[in-house]
Amino acid sequence: MPTTPPSRPFLVALLVAAASAGLAASAGLVASTGLGAEAKKPGAKRARAAVPFRLPAAVRDAPDGASFAVAPIDRTARDSVRAAAARIDAILAERHARDGVAPPPSLSDSQFLRRAYLDLGGRIPTHDEASAFLASTDPDKRAALVDSLLESADWVSRFYNVWADTLRLTERPQKNLWSEAYLDWVKRSIAANRPYDEWVHDMLTADGKLWENPAVGYQLRDQGMPLPYVDNTVRVFLGTQIGCAQCHNHPFDAWTQHQFYELAAFTAGTRSGTGGKPEKPVRKEMRKGARADTADATAKNVRALIAESRKRANANGTKVNNAFTQFLQANGTVVNFRDRDLKLPHDYQYDDAKPEEGVAPHVLWGEVPQEARDLDGRAQFAAWVTSRDNPQFARTIANRMWKLCFGVGLVEPIDDFRPDNPPSHPELMDHLAAEMLRLDFDLREFVRIVVSTEAWQRRAIPYDPTTGEAFSFAAPSLRRQSAEQLWDSILTLVAHDPWAYERPTGEAFAAAVNLDLSRKNPGLDAAHAAFERYEDSQSPRKTRRQTMQTYGYKGQLLARASELPTPLPLGHFLRQFGQGDRETIDGNRTVATVPQILAMFNGPITHAMLERGSTVVDELAEHDPPQAVDVIFLSVLSRLPDEEDRKLALEEIRGAVDRRTGCGNLIWALLNTREFLFIQ
Amino acid sequence: MNLSWLDSRLARRGAIARIARTALGVTAVDAFLAERPSGFAAEPLPAGTNIITLFMRGAMSHLDTFDPKPGREEQGETGVIQTKTPGIVFGESMKKLAGMSDRLAILRAVTTQTGAHEQGTYLMRTSYPQINSIRHPAFGAWALHAAGRHPGDLPGYVLVGNGNDHPGSGFLDPALSPVPVADPKAGLENTMRPAYLTEENFERRLSLAEKVDRDFKASYGGNQIEAYDRMYAEAVRLLGSVDLEAFDLSKEPESVRDRYGAGVIGKGCLLARRLVESGVRVVEVEVNGWDMHRDLFEELPTKAAGLDKALATLLDDLTDRGLLGTTLVVLATEFGRTPKINENAGRDHHPAVFSCVLAGAGVKGGVVHGASDERGHSPDSGAISVADFNTTVAAAAGLPYEKEFHAPNGRPFKIGGGGTPVREVLA
Repeated sequence: MPTTPPSRPFLVALLVAAASAGLAASAGLVASTGLGAEAKKPGAKRARAAVPFRLPAAVRDAPDGASFAVAPIDRTARDSVRAAAARIDAILAERHARDGVAPPPSLSDSQFLRRAYLDLGGRIPTHDEASAFLASTDPDKRAALVDSLLESADWVSRFYNVWADTLRLTERPQKNLWSEAYLDWVKRSIAANRPYDEWVHDMLTADGKLWENPAVGYQLRDQGMPLPYVDNTVRVFLGTQIGCAQCHNHPFDAWTQHQFYELAAFTAGTRSGTGGKPEKPVRKEMRKGARADTADATAKNVRALIAESRKRANANGTKVNNAFTQFLQANGTVVNFRDRDLKLPHDYQYDDAKPEEGVAPHVLWGEVPQEARDLDGRAQFAAWVTSRDNPQFARTIANRMWKLCFGVGLVEPIDDFRPDNPPSHPELMDHLAAEMLRLDFDLREFVRIVVSTEAWQRRAIPYDPTTGEAFSFAAPSLRRQSAEQLWDSILTLVAHDPWAYERPTGEAFAAAVNLDLSRKNPGLDAAHAAFERYEDSQSPRKTRRQTMQTYGYKGQLLARASELPTPLPLGHFLRQFGQGDRETIDGNRTVATVPQILAMFNGPITHAMLERGSTVVDELAEHDPPQAVDVIFLSVLSRLPDEEDRKLALEEIRGAVDRRTGCGNLIWALLNTREFLFIQ
Repeated sequence: MNLSWLDSRLARRGAIARIARTALGVTAVDAFLAERPSGFAAEPLPAGTNIITLFMRGAMSHLDTFDPKPGREEQGETGVIQTKTPGIVFGESMKKLAGMSDRLAILRAVTTQTGAHEQGTYLMRTSYPQINSIRHPAFGAWALHAAGRHPGDLPGYVLVGNGNDHPGSGFLDPALSPVPVADPKAGLENTMRPAYLTEENFERRLSLAEKVDRDFKASYGGNQIEAYDRMYAEAVRLLGSVDLEAFDLSKEPESVRDRYGAGVIGKGCLLARRLVESGVRVVEVEVNGWDMHRDLFEELPTKAAGLDKALATLLDDLTDRGLLGTTLVVLATEFGRTPKINENAGRDHHPAVFSCVLAGAGVKGGVVHGASDERGHSPDSGAISVADFNTTVAAAAGLPYEKEFHAPNGRPFKIGGGGTPVREVLA
């Protein structure tokens, strides 16, 4: 006899379930339906109080919000915001009239509510937030909602996710780069609503250790790769691709390899002694008797400590502690700058210069601003990139922010501005760039204006960029929720306090990790003691178990996407839904795959939503079927059911083995609609 | 005895079709019941040809693997090993593959223009340069489009170990896009309904979702929504399927798992073999970590040895099971690495020349086509473009590489990118 094929149980389950729904009810399926499925045995209902919650207490508690403050928004500016939005609408209207585009209808209040929460807060509204907004009779309630969202921790979280994808934020870009403080710095810069040109300038010029001056994290992201660093920087901040010119003149590109090297010559002197062997040119300078600065002293101490640690391990017959070595190297990573010549590659093949010839720094267009000309190469480069007179800096960020709100850029790809790839709406592009300057690079205010336009408040238009047709911008494109929006939305249905867990602050991390090696060598024992203090308080390796015990559910850390480790493993819900790998600039995708659906069907986060103590289950506890249906629709889809929906839902709840099963089925069903997944 | 198995399988198909009709709406039923997706006229692959592609992301150094330059300064610390083919040596880590070079076709003068990972990878996968106005299908999607998938519940195309930058089905039917398996060790996750969820309840849930969604779907059509409809259908088709065992590496004896080795490469090759045996037509295994700008001579030996072990075992297993004759194995990467060793003891990006390898169905063994110059810098003879390479793959797999297919915008495309196949390596 062959063994029973595995498909048997499937069929048996099917038949049993179909034939004996009544039996199932009396046999204990009543409570084991997924909705607060804590009961396993008949009669468990009475014993419910004794059954422990499976959702961690930390997220079931009343919310006390995020730990950081967000810069307040100026509510007196609403009239000027409205006027600025009207100018954008006028420019679009003129174009639409010319092109014969008929704009789609405006959003209903509930559609607006959902889009505003998702785009500005990165999540769907809670039941209470949705009810309050829909019930409000304030004629200005849309503007009021936009303003309150833009000064919330939700906005910081959402905007952080956007930048994490663009800047390839990760805790460990390399083994000896510990970037927690930098990640926190990006988040705080957003919370403080610092002008964009200012924080970009900081990132391009910062000196020091990661936890003394966290902005150095940007330069360290491409540590040891000075040419890709320039390529990436120009791509992200100036919307221009010069990468091909790193190796050769491209027949169709404007940029030559010589120009690439001229630009790279500005920042070639960026150094970051990591305690390893200093780079060749640095060794040369040191031999020449150049003044050994603190970075060099630190590097020397790190080398000495590592050597000593190896020696001791050998003597004791133990293995070298790699984590300790990395701790030393992390403490030895000090970014600094010393002008240095850049040479053309040995295989340079063009007539305008010779291989291995030195290259003088030169910008790609325009000139280095007057006030920066006496500064060092790196500072000149930063001044040029972020200058108000560099048109590409404002245009690139205006286009980025426009795409954030509309799903499509006026120039696509957003990092490929060139004469052959002009904006689809040139008048609007010019206007938005001018607005960016008028607003002094206040990105939040820019977004506030864009979402106040009539265009943004219209029903989405399905758009496939690969057809090659230009988008009309009569409304945003129909977008699937990003991985982070989806995760945070489901978390909204799960956690009363989604901010229970936050990533470590820069200060906390710095206090735990910092070991001053810039002067004298503290000795191996003191260094090791510092390492152990760090391990016990902040090391992800050691603290992970505790974190999961307090905030975890079935192996998932129940925290906002912005607070989760990055990059996440490929199998994580966020990665399945297309979160980037943090190696690719703007790597997030929204492509449909089978594992996504399996996760929606059977994944832990979907279960969490139906657990006892979840936001949506608790909300339901107080309502009987007719109201329960409204609660579920508002909670999941941010709208009330129409007549047809209500009929279907009530049929489902009444036809199910019991009310809880029916409600659970309804929640699950709404989560698995395209209406849930897409932002209409 | 087999009859009862067949019965239950048929009954299951009936149940699935019912779910499709009642719970997923009429549109999805086609995708459900069709063994081959609809599309333009298709021509079948030669009986059962499968394709396993191993993609070395980051750019595998040709000098240290399949095209060494012994005695040259450029060779650095990597030694060489004599292969079974007279006059041909490999990098010293390719020990096992050296012993089976009679089954390999080495293409040593592949050349491309782009030294950027993203664009290079896209070109290698789709045979067309990446541009903004169109998304080209990956090779596997083309293969399914032209030849259909095998019958059964399993997907036609599985991608192991990838992030999310895969071109997928491009402008073709979204159902042709690969099913990603992030971690081959974990297999395909979330395929079991929770114990409390009965089949009936599952069906009710799907049916309810479909009904609530009607207004939304009526208001917004488009490819993205349709793609999700397709994926829901595919997911339901997979749930509870007997064939899901193919994804479970723990079903293999430990000795077999050991032979393939660890990591995505080892586990991925074993998974690829299991999937192909169970009726998945195309498997792509993506292996990261080849971008060795630093300390190449420390990192490469381990990486290359992992590849050597996994690929050699895969070829042996496919041979033993009589599958190598119907399975084409492709080893590809986006470009090569500089012969000149940089100041960090690494090699940088080098598109001018690099190596790829073919074995199995449609391919001659013991052949080397093309050569790089004495430094490994540029092609010396037999230079082929990425399109030529992919057209060779298409020819070996029996795909209609000369036929023009039209994208929705009317532009014509060919499988393999309209290159010239390298006859010398074709069986």
